[in-house]
Amino acid sequence: MGKEGKTFKEWFGSRKVQRYLVIFTFMFLPLLLLLMFTYIPFGKMIQFSFYNMKYIGKRTFVGWKNYVEVFNRPEIFKSLLVSVYYMLGGFVQLALALFFATMMVFKVKGESVFKAAMFFPYLISGIAIGFIFKFFYARGYVLDSIVAMFGVAPENIPMWLQDTKINNISLAATSVWRYTGQNMILFLGAMMSVDSDLYEAASLDGANKWHQFKYIILPSIKSIVVLNIILSISGSLSAFEPPYVITNGTMGTGTYFVMMNRIAHENQKVGLASAMAIVLLIIIIIFTVLQKLFFAYVFDNGTDDESKAAARKRKKQAKQ
Amino acid sequence: MKLKRLMALGMAAVMTMSLTACGGSDDKPSDSTAADNAAASNTASSDKDAGSDSDAAGETPSEAGVPTIDKINVGEDYKDLTASIKILTNRTDIVDTVYAGYADQFMELYPNITVEYEAVTDYEEAVTLRLTAGGWGDIMFIPTSVPKNELSTYFMSLGDYNTLDQIYNFVDEKTFEGNVYGIANGGTAGGIAYNKKVWADAGITEMPKTPDEFLEDLQKIKDNTEAVPLYTNFSAGWTMGAWDQYIECAATGDPDFHNNLPHMKDPFTKRDDMTGPYAVYYVLYESVARKLVEEDPASSDWESSKGAINRGEIATMVLGSWAVNQFKEAGDNPDDIGYMPFPITVNGKQYAGSGGNYGYGINKDASDDNKIASMLYVKWLIEESPMFLDEGSIPARKDGEFPAVLEAFDGVELIANSPAPDGEEDLFDDVNNESEVGINNNDYPDCEILEAALYGTRTLDEIMTEWNEKWSAAQESLGVEVNK
Repeated sequence: MGKEGKTFKEWFGSRKVQRYLVIFTFMFLPLLLLLMFTYIPFGKMIQFSFYNMKYIGKRTFVGWKNYVEVFNRPEIFKSLLVSVYYMLGGFVQLALALFFATMMVFKVKGESVFKAAMFFPYLISGIAIGFIFKFFYARGYVLDSIVAMFGVAPENIPMWLQDTKINNISLAATSVWRYTGQNMILFLGAMMSVDSDLYEAASLDGANKWHQFKYIILPSIKSIVVLNIILSISGSLSAFEPPYVITNGTMGTGTYFVMMNRIAHENQKVGLASAMAIVLLIIIIIFTVLQKLFFAYVFDNGTDDESKAAARKRKKQAKQ
Repeated sequence: MKLKRLMALGMAAVMTMSLTACGGSDDKPSDSTAADNAAASNTASSDKDAGSDSDAAGETPSEAGVPTIDKINVGEDYKDLTASIKILTNRTDIVDTVYAGYADQFMELYPNITVEYEAVTDYEEAVTLRLTAGGWGDIMFIPTSVPKNELSTYFMSLGDYNTLDQIYNFVDEKTFEGNVYGIANGGTAGGIAYNKKVWADAGITEMPKTPDEFLEDLQKIKDNTEAVPLYTNFSAGWTMGAWDQYIECAATGDPDFHNNLPHMKDPFTKRDDMTGPYAVYYVLYESVARKLVEEDPASSDWESSKGAINRGEIATMVLGSWAVNQFKEAGDNPDDIGYMPFPITVNGKQYAGSGGNYGYGINKDASDDNKIASMLYVKWLIEESPMFLDEGSIPARKDGEFPAVLEAFDGVELIANSPAPDGEEDLFDDVNNESEVGINNNDYPDCEILEAALYGTRTLDEIMTEWNEKWSAAQESLGVEVNK
């Protein structure tokens, strides 16, 4: 109780302690969850990738053997080529989403209904979407009937899931259908933050809608576009639900994830599958870094409004 | 003190009784604590068995207070036992109707025991995870992912092999080192489901006995009727894996073929008399290559195919006998559905493999009361309930009544794989998984056969050669002795 010593109550009540207390109590739960469901399982997976093991039973340490096997099996890397379809699908999806978002940013009748309808597919579980499209593409079902309405003879309608030329496109289309609305909402959110006076000013200056999109909207939402590209490329490398549910990875539609699932669950080679997961993680990291570098080259840091080429041009003009 | 003395008295009484009870096992006192009873009856049973070949029952880890399944009498013993048990099943479709009905019937018999079913979707994977976590309940269908040497880690022993093998079918599938850990929920015979009317309409009078006769008959069906000769159900996946079940017993007539497989050099090679695994896959490959299957395997649909075979739009489906009842129930023509053996003849005789369904296993970590209640329920299910007639499967008891659908197998010998030799219980699984040929556990290799035939990319011989190579590589990496 002396002047120099603080009681526990005073110490506890002090601003500094209270501040740390609040910080730690609020941080504790999220950190615990993060640790429990992300970092510990991830660490376990790295550990598993060095073992020859099943789900149950004894494990033997095999060093780098699983990794060597991943690189020695041609079918594993062939499955990455299937992801190219999903990447191209990702670009189609971005273009569509940008198009619809731009339409929506200018006044449209029934805007919220339209928005909700576009966003709805994203809310359905991927498995359910798989089943919907399984029937959509099945012989004699929805898509065949629609195509037949346009007068195409039944024998000329391709087999959407069986023809190896188009079945991956069919599958990638389902993921375009699912994610376009979600991308659109993201873009729309970013576009909303653009000052609407700019459109007015631009149209006074004689800019049409395309000009407005190119010179006002696109530069303002560039960072979100870059983000979506990165997400859709890493997403296409790990595409799983459409091929797993609709074709079970048969007929040449097996993506990397489907292969990994087969090796882990049907052949019970958990170690090998964990190694595949780590390899995929590294591939995704490489892709992301490459994209970052690419956008950094084109746009400085991916967030600036002006491309490097444009900046150079401006500087050049300023000198003259 | 008083309690202790009472218990000691009871114990003594029970012991004396067990000494005199050598003649019969059914006179267990029905009072006092269940644990005491069970201990006593266990002593009784080991006394009894001591005279037989070994003292296995004495060693049997039938945990102190719990009797073995052959010694327990449903409807008589433990009528006062109070317990609440949970049973896991994969049958999400009938858990609330048929299975709940069985549970109700049992609970009428044992009013103090509560039986609760839990249906698990994606059974194999979900249950494997729950097993390792523990606390899953009392009874489950033992998932195939548990190897034999791990059975004792999760499940209690139900009795010793020599005793139970006399009573029940398929016990060797869940036996390790002389202890039985699961009793199969009935079994199925491997054959081919077909629509009798369509086959007759096509002008077929005699059932095919060889792969080539079968393919000719399918051709006749294609030429003479509107039906799809053979429906593969490709897109369901597991329906393709179903072809694997014929490559052992049905294709060779040899109950030891399964055990020999891991030691065989090039087991998938073509044999001159068209038997063995090659002959089975030949039927699949050729029927696809000759366009005797549905036009669009990739968009085939299992649920609607059941009605289609009933209506005669599909002539044939290659699936286990369990499917027959589903086909019968799927439409108005249940009598048109028939079941025939796989068309392979070995030295003038046809064989069909029969095997157990999922086996019932009882949680090793459950309390003694729950173990006994679980054992009562399992025994009631497999012996008293109408389950096997309902499902049209081979009954669990060896002297049980066969369902009518298997009558078509007249003159066909039903055989099951023999138990694996000691020390080789996991050998087949190990080679099978390591090679990724995935017999009976991975559907994809069978799908590849269909794809190759459909697109004409590879011949069957090329695929079989590849499987042989994978098989040899697995044998080599596991250091398995290979017979030339």
